[in-house]
Amino acid sequence: MTLAANSGTSFSSTANRATSRRRRSASTSTLAISLVTLAALIALWFLAAHFEWASPLFLPSPAEVLTQFSAVWVDGYANGTLLEHTLASLGRIAAALSVGVFLGIPLGLLMGLNRWVKGIFSVPIDLYWGLPPLAYLPLLIIWLGIGETSKIVLLSLSTFAPICFAAQAGVRSVPVERINAALSLGASRLQLFTSIILPSALPEIMTGLKIAIGAGLSTLVAAELIAAQSGLGYMIMSAANFLATDVVFVGLIVIAVLAFAFTSGMRWLEHRLIPWKGKI
Amino acid sequence: MLRIRDASVTFPASDGQEVHALDHVSLDIAPDSIVVAVGASGCGKSTLLNAIAGFLPLSEGSITLDGKEIVAPGGDRGVVFQKDTLLPWANVLDNVALGLKYRGVPRGERHERSRRLLELVGLADFAEKPPYELSGGMRQRVGIARALATDPKILLMDEPFGALDSLTRETMQQLLASVWAKTGKQILFITHSIEEALTLGTTIVVMSPRPGRIVARFDVDFVREFAESGDIGPIQSHPRFIELRQEIRSLIHQPEGARTGTLQ
Repeated sequence: MTLAANSGTSFSSTANRATSRRRRSASTSTLAISLVTLAALIALWFLAAHFEWASPLFLPSPAEVLTQFSAVWVDGYANGTLLEHTLASLGRIAAALSVGVFLGIPLGLLMGLNRWVKGIFSVPIDLYWGLPPLAYLPLLIIWLGIGETSKIVLLSLSTFAPICFAAQAGVRSVPVERINAALSLGASRLQLFTSIILPSALPEIMTGLKIAIGAGLSTLVAAELIAAQSGLGYMIMSAANFLATDVVFVGLIVIAVLAFAFTSGMRWLEHRLIPWKGKI
Repeated sequence: MLRIRDASVTFPASDGQEVHALDHVSLDIAPDSIVVAVGASGCGKSTLLNAIAGFLPLSEGSITLDGKEIVAPGGDRGVVFQKDTLLPWANVLDNVALGLKYRGVPRGERHERSRRLLELVGLADFAEKPPYELSGGMRQRVGIARALATDPKILLMDEPFGALDSLTRETMQQLLASVWAKTGKQILFITHSIEEALTLGTTIVVMSPRPGRIVARFDVDFVREFAESGDIGPIQSHPRFIELRQEIRSLIHQPEGARTGTLQ
């Protein structure tokens, strides 16, 4: 699908229509294949559990996981229902993404526009972005305590950098001819920014946002595994301590569904906001 | 009137020496004229255009438009680029209206004026389309309409048809000739095609590289006939056309040493 989109630079409108038709048929055919793969994986799980290829302690059956799912949903596990754990995790990632977006985009844009801002901020961001977040989590806990603050700061740090870098790269990727064209049409500096630079940087910013969501999600679960009293990671860790593999499975499936929802949501947003991506 | 006086542009090259992209060039572009700069790559013709547009500063000399010195890009000089620079997130109409928007012209009026320009370039039916659904030639027509929308004093065209196939190119030349005949804009047109230069120019300046200089200047008049008839055939078989084509070709292909001192 990506390949088809990238090759869609044909000029005439008939060629464009042909390309989009090809793209559509390509995406429906992949969808069918993916669905079959998913069904095969689930069937394999059924078989493996049914014939006890592994001990039920290590590999619970799908039915058991489903039962646990409703049990955790209604009665809860590790101080909270499934919904409470999910909302706790989502709340943290939402807070961190807001910080990443509201600080990362403006700062990244400024870094792309101004040599001084770039010079000052790129060193500290480069330095901490190279560190694995879990390496400095203990430090954040010492500074900020074991509560929500340290986790949200940790997550914000991991979402901020990719968004900031992407916004900066977005500004740098604006074709110089596009800027010259706007200037020779009489654009002021502010008009140049709002009408040319910002929309031109949008595709890069969306890519950064996707990376930030991925980084945020993995940091989130890892942080909850280590230090939390709620959240999906905490639920999984508590269940693992009692060898409740079925609850671990429930947690993993919820995280997988969340990740998939984020990816699809971003794809939809990209389609709405930047339909021209890859076409010019 | 655009006046270029002793304009020089020098760049530092990678080997530490200086490249004289433009070396003491003087040229006037009068209203109602199409000046075509023709020459091999690296002869400074694009540098000349970029300096007039205000995209790069002169090392020496001056360029004035109606007595006002050019120091930066501005809306009084419309530019048409070789690569189309339309905004993919705006439709064709809003692309044409961009310069008017920058000037604070109200939406209704700028759309009305832009529609008239789209009619002039024959794209009235494509106003609502996104630019990436248009062919290369159509996009260049939108680019011309956009540059004309703000009614600039001069139109600067940097090999605008260079990336088009030869048939589309001919159509675009026709279009430009008729737009010029209707609007009477002064135009600076850059090309490496001698035929294009002869077909479209009222004045042709031949440029040579290292250093970038004007080596010859010809006043011709094929474009008026072309604008009226719209037929390129009889013009290109005109004896004077063939003779000039040969002369310009030999000027461009002359060995570099032989060229010194032949200025104008």
